[in-house]
Amino acid sequence: MALLLRTLARQGVSVTRPQYSVLYRHAAPMGTTAKEEMNKFWSKNARLNRPMSPHLTIYKWSVPMMMSVTHRGTGVGLSGAISAFALAALVLPGNYPYYLDLIHSLSIGPFLIGLAKFGITFPVSYHTYNGIRHLWWDIGKGFKIPEVYRTGYTVIGLSIITSIALAAI
Amino acid sequence: PGQVCVNVAEHWKRLLLALSVMVRYAQTAAAPAPEPRIKKFQIYRWDPDSAGDKPRMQTYEIDLNTCGPMVLDALIKIKNEMDPTLTFRRSCREGICGSCAMNINGGNTLACLNKIDTNTSKPTKIYPLPHMYVVKDLVPDMSNFYAQYKSIEPYLKKKDGTQEGKEQYFQSVEDRQKLDGLYECILCACCSTSCPSYWWNGDKYLGPAVLMQAYRWMIDSRDEFTEERLSKLQDPFSLYRCHTIMNCTKTCPKGLNPGKAIAEIKKMMATYKEKKAAAT
Repeated sequence: MALLLRTLARQGVSVTRPQYSVLYRHAAPMGTTAKEEMNKFWSKNARLNRPMSPHLTIYKWSVPMMMSVTHRGTGVGLSGAISAFALAALVLPGNYPYYLDLIHSLSIGPFLIGLAKFGITFPVSYHTYNGIRHLWWDIGKGFKIPEVYRTGYTVIGLSIITSIALAAI
Repeated sequence: PGQVCVNVAEHWKRLLLALSVMVRYAQTAAAPAPEPRIKKFQIYRWDPDSAGDKPRMQTYEIDLNTCGPMVLDALIKIKNEMDPTLTFRRSCREGICGSCAMNINGGNTLACLNKIDTNTSKPTKIYPLPHMYVVKDLVPDMSNFYAQYKSIEPYLKKKDGTQEGKEQYFQSVEDRQKLDGLYECILCACCSTSCPSYWWNGDKYLGPAVLMQAYRWMIDSRDEFTEERLSKLQDPFSLYRCHTIMNCTKTCPKGLNPGKAIAEIKKMMATYKEKKAAAT
């Protein structure tokens, strides 16, 4: 009798699947995909109006982080400047020597001229040297934190020296 | 005489006991009370149950003489003795569960592994992990992070399913060593939530922790889905939002190197199609 009951019970479990799952309807659904879970995450947080924890304003800045954002900034600045220069060459009425003479005729002091030159040469040299640092990373080298700092300080030092030398020409 | 002997011994015992007690009293009386070392803890608070509550910082003052050495000790002390409403996750208190990941003094780390800065002139600032939806106080919603982990299928995959469970999958010592520095990750999400790319693109960029685990399964000698795993990352966001900012490696409380792992994936991405073409 006991054997019969047990067999029946076991069969009941395996055959009547829907009934089985009814018992577990409060358990977490096991069959969700990652995509479904992500969608649920976004809709739930939007609905609950939860605050976003602070990020940029509280995160402690480090030299590599600062250098990364500078690389982005100089990149955007340089491509913007080159595009503006090309566009100006296209649409402005005078030619290049004309505007060069114009700047000469303004007789700005050597200090300001030097500063303006540095303003161009520093982004160029920084972005170039840091680009080489990125290439070094791209072949999978220099990823230990002391190496990241060492290459970083090297890039900063070299770009300052190079940009001053270029500006002095 | 036996009785007397016992009594004398008892007498001496009592006398000694009394003396030692007196000495102890004298010692405690002589030692000056230790100067209290009051340390301020500024902690992010937000309560979902009080309608219209705005996130704010609450300051707690703790005497470091009566507190354990770690930031988690201070948080538990605050919750036990000062403010039971303070909410945070914690479990193992020894850096293996990853529950108490939070932003302490501007860097992401585990509160249980982070020593309290004993300089009492500066407050210790504690925030939840950055750029995460806050459930309450220091508890962020990690569901997206876990779903992303699920999406990379973090388990051994074989082409031939019929041989499953028949025998062990052997691995050479060298192949096993490749997993060192990868399998130790406890998924605390300190690295992912330190990454500005993950802050801005957390919906589509997988982030350092998940990518390092993707790499862990790619280079497992027993796994047979390396190419498929790689091709899944072949879009502008999943992998390539990494710009080598290196906040991940700098902040990892377990001393792992997710930045390096991501670079290795990028290298594999550049060659796996050619390898596959050469093989067929």
